[in-house]
Amino acid sequence: MSTTVAELAAQVAQAHVSAEPLRVVGGGTWLQAGRSCFGTALRVGEYVGIVDYTPGDLTLTARAGTTLEAIAEATAAHGQWLPLDPEALPGATIGATIATASDGPLAFAMGRVRDQVLGIECVTGTGEVTRAGGRVVKNVAGFDLVRLHTGAWGTLGVITEVSVRLRARPEVDRAFVVASDDRVSLESRLAPLADLLIAPLALELLSGALATALGVHDHMCLLVRLAGNATRVNAQVEALGALGDVKEVPVSVFDALSRLSPAGAMVARVSHMPTHFSATWRHVMDHLSASQCWQPLVRGSIARGVVRVGALFEQDVPVLERFVRGMAPPGAAVAWEMLPDDGWQYVPSSVSDRVSMGLRRALDPAWILNRGLLGESMDAVRV
Amino acid sequence: MNASLQSLTNALTEIVGARWVKSRAAELTAYDSDGLPGYRATPRLVVLPGSRDEVCAVVRLLAERGIPFVPRGAGTGLSGGSLANDAVVIGLNRLTRIHSIDAGNRIAHVEPGVVNASLARAVSPFGLYYAPDPSSQAACTIGGNVAENAGGPHCLKYGVTLNHIAALTVCLPDGELVSFGSSVSEDTGYDLCGLFIGSEGCFGIATDIWVRLLPVPEQVRTLLADFSSVTDAARAVSAIIATGIVPAALEMMDQSTIRAVEASIYAAGYPVDAAAVLLAEVDGLAIGLDDDVRVIEQCCRDAGARNVRIASNDADRARLWQGRKKAFGALGRIAPHLVVQDAVVPRTKLPQILAEIHEIGARYNVNVCNVFHAGDGNLHPNISYDASDPQQSERVHAAMSEIMHACINAGGTITGEHGVGLDKLGYMEDLFSAPSLAAMCSVREVFDPERRANPGKVVPVHSCREWSGSSRH
Repeated sequence: MSTTVAELAAQVAQAHVSAEPLRVVGGGTWLQAGRSCFGTALRVGEYVGIVDYTPGDLTLTARAGTTLEAIAEATAAHGQWLPLDPEALPGATIGATIATASDGPLAFAMGRVRDQVLGIECVTGTGEVTRAGGRVVKNVAGFDLVRLHTGAWGTLGVITEVSVRLRARPEVDRAFVVASDDRVSLESRLAPLADLLIAPLALELLSGALATALGVHDHMCLLVRLAGNATRVNAQVEALGALGDVKEVPVSVFDALSRLSPAGAMVARVSHMPTHFSATWRHVMDHLSASQCWQPLVRGSIARGVVRVGALFEQDVPVLERFVRGMAPPGAAVAWEMLPDDGWQYVPSSVSDRVSMGLRRALDPAWILNRGLLGESMDAVRV
Repeated sequence: MNASLQSLTNALTEIVGARWVKSRAAELTAYDSDGLPGYRATPRLVVLPGSRDEVCAVVRLLAERGIPFVPRGAGTGLSGGSLANDAVVIGLNRLTRIHSIDAGNRIAHVEPGVVNASLARAVSPFGLYYAPDPSSQAACTIGGNVAENAGGPHCLKYGVTLNHIAALTVCLPDGELVSFGSSVSEDTGYDLCGLFIGSEGCFGIATDIWVRLLPVPEQVRTLLADFSSVTDAARAVSAIIATGIVPAALEMMDQSTIRAVEASIYAAGYPVDAAAVLLAEVDGLAIGLDDDVRVIEQCCRDAGARNVRIASNDADRARLWQGRKKAFGALGRIAPHLVVQDAVVPRTKLPQILAEIHEIGARYNVNVCNVFHAGDGNLHPNISYDASDPQQSERVHAAMSEIMHACINAGGTITGEHGVGLDKLGYMEDLFSAPSLAAMCSVREVFDPERRANPGKVVPVHSCREWSGSSRH
């Protein structure tokens, strides 16, 4: 059992010498994501605890195995929070959240994971303990390996400690569902958004199935989170009326939203320019229908142009190929988070370019960390 | 001119034309320094390509001949990052095209030589603006901002350059053109765009930059609070941040700075007997903004502010900002040289570090003026001096070194927005362990195995040697 960074580093150094693959495990909630990846478990989830938290600085440093719940509890006591809301099950760790760069609806206003991380300690593939960034909110000392490790899925180093930026909790924090006439086109329904004087904390379009699963509505609708001072929030609630019928729902519905993907679902994020949002959404919904994915849980971050899909798929392999290849409309990108093993063959690796492979060779020369998780091939890594 | 230099000049001339290759001593002088006083280095040649293709052709030629190069924007950097000691300077000032502005998606595609303020002007008819606003924004380029991950007063709310770049096309040091990030969708794979930003010209040259734009806020309100002690002003900063309101800017100036500003043509009406003034700005939806202003005003008064002045109109607001934006110019009038330093401390350490800086300045008999981004804990201790006086220069450098170490000891860092360049190289080993520096070197070698791109900057060379030995199995 590894409980200190020295022990974790020693395990990695040993694996480096013997070229034995390691599977980095935090809370275990993300292990179904990405391609199959085998190796001896490196248990970072046991490396827990808040190392430093000075509320006046609005920064917090925690070991990678610390859960998001533990951080939420510690910061709530001081009227603060870490505004990250990834799709994550209870027990998800801060290390995995940063390693996977998983963000949620709050990214609309608060920025993505990469915007919240100030510093990282990580063990490279040779077992060296390294640090990048720091604990202060602005820092350009040295090359930005913080950004490099954020979203690298543990393939360039094992994140062991992180420093993150916190925010003070807003005075008022409320959630609303906005429903409008289903017979009108999506473009028409969303058009008033452009001129609306609102600055929401989050604004998501929900598919009918997702709205039903959440218990907030029975058709496609908008889920809006408004925060700030009471005057501003009240004025925005009124402004929302231009989009349809407004109904307040408990703000905890956003917590439920982040825990909804059904077991065994395929999960993908389809993204394109925000002006293409309606077309992207329609393509995804039509594609899911054509693929006989009934009741898909789909939500869209309109201003970011991102459509997130969670769907059960039980067809045979030839259909699976069409399903995977056709998920994104022309010009859009798709990032698959979960797929059956048979599906990954149709997904190109996102780290097959020269620079990415060079970084992998530089930081994990024996190719032991989460080997194959990002679809990199042995030939490319070992050139 | 020796034969190899002549041959290089000829080859570069073939790519860009004779007018854009500078080789005479008088021409090179303009490129022998940047915004960091006291440092000079003469480049071998200066070449000014006029297109992406020419940049790549120049870089490929230099790669073939194994010649080091230093990319340069406007040369306004404050860390000596664009100094080129016998390297070829690749000046990007001719690449000033704004290829496109996509107002619907709030993104613009620009060349690296576009001046920060020019971009702001170009996008303003669309009701948009580019948030990072370094003090040199009237001259500095977007390419330079990307290289340094530049900040500015409004980064407190809106973030630094990193947070506003969607994608880059980069000419690697061997001349290959690659794309990082995505201008049309979410990026997948490693965050190479984020890694490149702030790499200070060591990873190649960004030839195309897609910047994210923001809608101009519906309303802006600006306040000036003055205090009889720096500690009170710092307490007000902490109190404001703790309310949950994120001001667009929260800037502090100490008495030395106030007096320099008020004695200059940039006088803004700051009270010269104040120990410190705090300039706070909030922006966003008009509704509710007055509530934020009242909360901030109360925080200042509770912390001991003598007066709080709220700008009543745009002219008043511009005047309050003028003193802050032109503070470096005002300080520059006091003596022939001005060293503008850059360090960051945790926000709660501001009172302690300001007292330490004051004590260090007194001990070395140098006048340290502080004008800085208080909301971020990003200090700019500045010293006006005469760099031609060796004794004075020595005292200034010794004082700055102590200030840097005080910031490190307070849990801070050596640069928040100016970069490491040459100036901060000596502090990197105080901040990072040998394995951490070695990891940075190994990353650099992925981009530039021959270390020809901006050599000798950011990471001490001997750290790289150590890594080279340990990483090759």
